Amino acid sequence: MYLGLKEMRHEKLRYTLLSGVLLLIALVVFMLAGLANGLSNGNRQAIDQWQATDVYLNKAANKTLSASQLKLADKKYISGTKVAPLASLSGTLRTTANHKKTTVSALATSRQSFIMPKVTHGHAINGKDQVIISAALKADGFKIGQKVRIGTTNHAVKIVGTYADSTYEISPTVYTDIATMNRLKAAPVTSGNQQTIGGFVTKNGHFKTSKHGDLQHLSIATFIEKLPGYSAEQMTLNTMIYFLFVIALAIIGIFMFVLTLQKQPLFGVLKVQGIGTKHILAALLTQSIAMAVIGIVLGLGITVGLAQIMPAGLPFVVNWGQFGLYSLALLAAAVIGALLSWRTVANIDPAVAIG
Amino acid sequence: MSTPVLALQHITKQFGHGHTAVTALTDANFEVLPGQFVAIIGPSGSGKSTFLTIAAGLQTPTSGQVLLNGTELAAQSEKARLAYRFNEIGFILQSSNLIPFLTVTEQLKLVDKMAKRRFQAERAQQLLSELALSEVATAYPNELSGGERQRVAIVRALYNDPSVILADEPTASLDTPRSIDVVDRLANEAHQHQKAIVMVTHDQRLIGNCDVVYRIEDGVMTRQ
Repeated sequence: MYLGLKEMRHEKLRYTLLSGVLLLIALVVFMLAGLANGLSNGNRQAIDQWQATDVYLNKAANKTLSASQLKLADKKYISGTKVAPLASLSGTLRTTANHKKTTVSALATSRQSFIMPKVTHGHAINGKDQVIISAALKADGFKIGQKVRIGTTNHAVKIVGTYADSTYEISPTVYTDIATMNRLKAAPVTSGNQQTIGGFVTKNGHFKTSKHGDLQHLSIATFIEKLPGYSAEQMTLNTMIYFLFVIALAIIGIFMFVLTLQKQPLFGVLKVQGIGTKHILAALLTQSIAMAVIGIVLGLGITVGLAQIMPAGLPFVVNWGQFGLYSLALLAAAVIGALLSWRTVANIDPAVAIG
Repeated sequence: MSTPVLALQHITKQFGHGHTAVTALTDANFEVLPGQFVAIIGPSGSGKSTFLTIAAGLQTPTSGQVLLNGTELAAQSEKARLAYRFNEIGFILQSSNLIPFLTVTEQLKLVDKMAKRRFQAERAQQLLSELALSEVATAYPNELSGGERQRVAIVRALYNDPSVILADEPTASLDTPRSIDVVDRLANEAHQHQKAIVMVTHDQRLIGNCDVVYRIEDGVMTRQ
């Protein structure tokens, strides 16, 4: 420890530069992780807010809500603590005067369902052709009392309330009831049990019998994974992050190895004097851990700082638990990198220091 | 008559096998008593370095025994020999045996850190002033003259209070007046602190102060 830190203090430039490289790697890791979180959140925030455990879709829908068609009457196959019908429509939310437009994910469920968001302003849906909107849409100029259209039909609905920010498939959500949704879709049936929906969301749901029509059960995790593009996005970003761990390991490993080769004569002298491999390795470890800690702490600081000034459109979420885990992974990479020089240090023959 | 601190008995060291074998040392016998300043003199390639590495337990002899305070080195584990070198042997090498990124005082602090004890400030001060180094206590090795560096190496070797000090051509990088100064100080330390000091050199002029002189030539060691 003493040796390692003293050397770093004496060779400031050398160790500052490597700390800087580690800082850059840590920064890219945290930025990518933040973006991955942001994208993930944008895709699934509404689903997380449901606090549901299962989803039931048409088995022919390939586990995708927008491709699934069921009837409200299919509820008879399912029982659970809570069961809610679900329908979706991805489209443009626009005012009837056509001034303002934005892409939204419209979701429909029954008015009293457990997945219907709690209204924070205005009132809950209590009549025909009413919708409530994510508070984030207020920034786009939508407000309570406005008449709006969703999608391509001319059917007008009224905004009656707003609720906490919520997104689904990267777009802000709008909630309505099943009948209104079917009118928006210009569906042939807009009342009663034969209305078309996409699926059901449940808490602790299960099939009542082994016969369950065209329904297929999905855990909420599977449902999220099957969101269009979700897995591909997350896998791409996570693969980049995992590669960065390997790169951090390689950089520390190579740097420490080159320094070790360079310092072989010095290590030989230390060994002659009875300061063995253990102490030399401890010095290398101290140095790489110190550099990694400096890089990680600064990287975290800069990431959090950048997150404050990022444009609102950039999805970015700081997840401290995950950042902590990635910090540990970077630290582990630094430790393993330093240990790669173990054989070289162990093999230095102290006799070369004499004669 | 006190017992020898370091004794080499019938040491032979061969490198290689069969007809390519080279004998670096042949039946060498050597001993040094506390307070003795012993010189080993010989031309380069005579086996001096082999002698030192064997005496320090860095190499094991082909045959014969090395006794450090009566304990046979070759019989010890690698770890035990490392501890022996740290505790019982002080080294002064040709040059560069100081750690470049530690100041003079820190070189001594390192010894205490390794021994897991507190820095002995008084002892450090006393040794540094004895070797006229008080002025440069906070300097780094590259800020010192060659003579100062070797004197720091002497302090470092003495600091851990070893049984024996092995000096390998301690004056190799110095001019004559400085060489004589360093050797005088070694002799003085041996006599004053009752240390056994063994100096290996090729320089005839430096052996005036030595209590015992061994000559080594082509691997054969003779006491003068």
